Amino acid sequence: MSQVLRGHAEDLYALELEELKKQDSGRRPANWQLTPQSVVTYLVGGTLSNGFEVSPKYIGNRRLMEIAVATLTTDRALLLYGLPGTAKSWVSEHLAAGISGDSTLIIQGTAGTSEEAIRYGWNYARLLAEGPSEKALVETPVARAMKDGKIARIEELTRIGADVQDTLITILSEKTLPVPELNTEIQAVRGFNIIATANNRDKGVNDLSSALKRRFNTVILPVPDSMEEEMDIVKRRVESFEKVMEVPAEPPALQEIRRIVTIFRELRSGVTIDGKTKLKTPSGTLSTAEAISVVNNGMAMAGYFGDGRLTAEDLAAGITGAILKDPVQDKVVWQEYLETVVKSREDWKDIYRACKNVL
Amino acid sequence: MNHILGIRHHGPGSARNVKAFLEAVKPDIVLIEGPPEADELLRWVSDEGLQPPVAILLYQADALQQSVFYPFAEFSPEWQAMLYARQHNIPVRFMDLPVAHTFGIQAQEGQEPAVPVAMATEAPPDAELPAVEVPETEDIYGNAPLRWMAHAGGHTDSDKWWEHTFENRVSNEEVFTAVSEMMRAAREDKPVKDRQEQLREAWMRKTIRQAQKEMYTEVAVICGAWHVPALTQMPPQKEDNELLKGLPKVKVECTWIPWTYSRLSFSSGYGAGINSPGWYSHLWHYPEDDGTRWMAGVAKLLREKQMDTSVAHIIESVRLAHSLAALRGLTKPGLEELNEATLSVVCHGEPMLMQLIKEELIVSNRIGTLPAGIPKPPLQADIEKWQKKLRLPATAAWKDYTLDLRKETDLERSMLLHRLQLLGIHWGKPSGVSGKGTFKEQWRLQWNPELAIDIIDKGNWGNTVEAAATAYVIHQATTAASLQVLCTLLQQALPAELPQAVEALIVQVTNQSAATGDVMQLMQVIAPLVTVSRYGNVRKTNAALVTGIVTGMITRVCISLPGACTGIADDAAQKMLALFLEMNNAISLLQQHDSTREWQQTLQRIAGSNSTHPVIAGYCTRLLADYKLLEGEALVKVFYSAVSAAVAPALAAAWIEGFLKGSGTLLLLDADLWLVVNDWVKQLPEESFIQVLPLLRRTFSHYTTPERRKLGEKVRQGDTPTGNRTAEQTVDAARGERALPVIMQLLGYPAL
Repeated sequence: MSQVLRGHAEDLYALELEELKKQDSGRRPANWQLTPQSVVTYLVGGTLSNGFEVSPKYIGNRRLMEIAVATLTTDRALLLYGLPGTAKSWVSEHLAAGISGDSTLIIQGTAGTSEEAIRYGWNYARLLAEGPSEKALVETPVARAMKDGKIARIEELTRIGADVQDTLITILSEKTLPVPELNTEIQAVRGFNIIATANNRDKGVNDLSSALKRRFNTVILPVPDSMEEEMDIVKRRVESFEKVMEVPAEPPALQEIRRIVTIFRELRSGVTIDGKTKLKTPSGTLSTAEAISVVNNGMAMAGYFGDGRLTAEDLAAGITGAILKDPVQDKVVWQEYLETVVKSREDWKDIYRACKNVL
Repeated sequence: MNHILGIRHHGPGSARNVKAFLEAVKPDIVLIEGPPEADELLRWVSDEGLQPPVAILLYQADALQQSVFYPFAEFSPEWQAMLYARQHNIPVRFMDLPVAHTFGIQAQEGQEPAVPVAMATEAPPDAELPAVEVPETEDIYGNAPLRWMAHAGGHTDSDKWWEHTFENRVSNEEVFTAVSEMMRAAREDKPVKDRQEQLREAWMRKTIRQAQKEMYTEVAVICGAWHVPALTQMPPQKEDNELLKGLPKVKVECTWIPWTYSRLSFSSGYGAGINSPGWYSHLWHYPEDDGTRWMAGVAKLLREKQMDTSVAHIIESVRLAHSLAALRGLTKPGLEELNEATLSVVCHGEPMLMQLIKEELIVSNRIGTLPAGIPKPPLQADIEKWQKKLRLPATAAWKDYTLDLRKETDLERSMLLHRLQLLGIHWGKPSGVSGKGTFKEQWRLQWNPELAIDIIDKGNWGNTVEAAATAYVIHQATTAASLQVLCTLLQQALPAELPQAVEALIVQVTNQSAATGDVMQLMQVIAPLVTVSRYGNVRKTNAALVTGIVTGMITRVCISLPGACTGIADDAAQKMLALFLEMNNAISLLQQHDSTREWQQTLQRIAGSNSTHPVIAGYCTRLLADYKLLEGEALVKVFYSAVSAAVAPALAAAWIEGFLKGSGTLLLLDADLWLVVNDWVKQLPEESFIQVLPLLRRTFSHYTTPERRKLGEKVRQGDTPTGNRTAEQTVDAARGERALPVIMQLLGYPAL
């Protein structure tokens, strides 16, 4: 087992990528590792002609993935947009892994991200010692992706200041990165493109200028449509987590996952699954990603502190923590939900007691 | 030789194939799946004036709720077949089971004929032209053979599969053979059991045999793909004749009516609907378009709606659509690919704008037209005449009109719309007018093809809009049960300018108001009637007529009102109070000297009576004060006596509530009145004060905040007796002296 805490997508799924490559027939865009069709298969899963099973990475509308992949075959960049926890970064990582075989060219957008982080920086020691030269240049992931014809990823694009965002315009439209200090430029090799993610829940973000917006095709990733879909996502991700984290607990019963997903869905939509009772909604997004982390957390608790079996007690702390983002408002919401919905459900007694103890 | 062409109704690919096939084969007769009653109508097809989308409407003459529409668009294969036949001067006939029999069978089987007219497209289910007839097979077998084939072809949806396989292809060789073979395979082990279905196919075969008997050699038959096998392998003639013997029959009328694209779409509830008539129309006109022209249309629409859309957007959308098509293994992008590209590139992922594109382009607002000479119901013809004259075209999309009734044309428009409204033909919907003045009207017009049924229905009442509306209103007037219904009707009839109807209504209103013993009902109707008589003048109506009844009614009210105000419960008194307010406003509006005096006298009687409910008595006193019939000393006297110590505090408070109803301004400005109220409150013993406090509070809470504040201020000032004020003005010299040194210092004088 590798000592790495969390492997890159292209390492974890190396076998699948290899098999897909072997089976691949048809025209590959320049510098792509797979054909667009295979990239879609890699994302949504499927059975190859030799019977090899590709696991689904994105569970949901296949069409969205097709649009995303088709966008990357054109020279427009891709903007994945949606609520926090709707698998934007996950999809972007796997798209990069599927297309370029490399998901590591990543820039995390923050309010402090500077132009040097996107274009290029300088190794000042070298710069002072030798003057401006190629060697003194520090390449960013974007510059490297341009040179190698790969996909660069920018996380949380809208968190980056508007003036810094706009440095992307030249890169995206002219496909070149001028370096005036050296009187040269880095020209993008075919296969280069950018996948950006942004969430539409945050306040105080910097909206894209219309010039930049025009260079992106937008795909909005929705929250899961149905209960089954969401459970499927949680189950798969939790299982993969076990693999990675080596948690000693037993795999979680579907029953427990169903309960968590039910709680999250009900609170998110503000109405019970049967549609009969209206509920207050908490301030957090309660995304599928949070449901996954609650189950993971519970499994770790069960594995290290419990008897290895996932019980309501193990989950209670995680659920409460995920829901109570605002200590005053959310507490009222959660207590009301516990008393009016959870308490009255016949086989939910244990979770009710456990959550009451935590509160 | 018989050529059986299996098609999908409303499919541009099928339409193109049919057209190409007919041009190649040159048949000498064309038979089309459709109602034979409408054969006569087919001669209009080549007329310039008949522009699809249009529909053939068939209805049972004596039971209009039994009706059925056969819509045709430009891209319907049937339409193209008719057009071909007419242009090449060869006979064309419909060959489906006559609707007369379908209705007859339904009536015989006792099926509920009362299908609401709006749903008529769905009834009878089989007379419709379902898309590829899939729903039918599903109904009968529970699982559609077409779905299996779609599944085998790698599609989840049989409709989409059909589209990709047959509609979207450009080359059309042997398409019909393929369809025929496929359907034969599908129907092989699923013989048709439904009787209606058997009858229809038998009739089709009968028509084909008839054509052969008439020595036509090249017979082209256009029918739903599902029927193809039944028409290629003919059973013995005798069997069919046996089946078709003695079918029940009813009398059926038919005509062309204009149709709309939105009524062709599924969302309108049309059984054989298609999702995207606008897109099909585009496909029909530009079969070679790779999405560029479509996207240009999208851009044009968005720019019209002030949405920035650059050429670069369109270029990128087309490229993305092509990439998507390539990714999905399609030869060229379809509507889905184009929509997805539009959503992603132009709309930045926001589905809101897509709704607009769907309404305007994918479904589109197109409406068909009919030639002038076509025989149509007289009422319809009259409506069209007016539409033309007043320049109010029937459109499928709604359009707002603001009518200025001072203008001749607008007045006539309003008249027409009001008359149609009275007839229950809801083409226009009146909406609220912004701004002041009674000379403006706001209407929202939207033509709905099913109005045709309403028009035929109301055609019984007369041949012109005016005659029909008059007759219909008179009919309603004689059957109306309550005065209120009559008055509403009168209110509607006046702007419609139907003198005869109005006269009949007035007679009815007078009769009923004489007969009614309910004063409250009379009071309720007076207010709207007064509005009519006062403002009716803009429309040059004979307002004198209405004024006549109104004054009569006021007299009646005045006579019985005092009696109605005595001995009533508190809630009833409150209701009465509201009516008093309305009635009083109405009388002020009427400005008829006699009526006003009559009303004032009545008020005096009510106010003066001891047995009147105190709230009403109080309110009447106030009205009298407003009329300046009770002023100064007299008013104070009345108030004193009403609230004097002998009167129970609850009653006194009720009286005050009525008196002060609506406005505290009187109280603020009239010093005498203020004193009276103030003194009364002050002299109340504590227990009585506590008792009346809630009532007083209720009265005062109706006032506006500034009024209440001013009243409060006035109380505070009034509470300060004059004596105190002088006391406050006395100066404490000793205290003042102590401050002097500091002030001197501040002013720069040497200390004392």
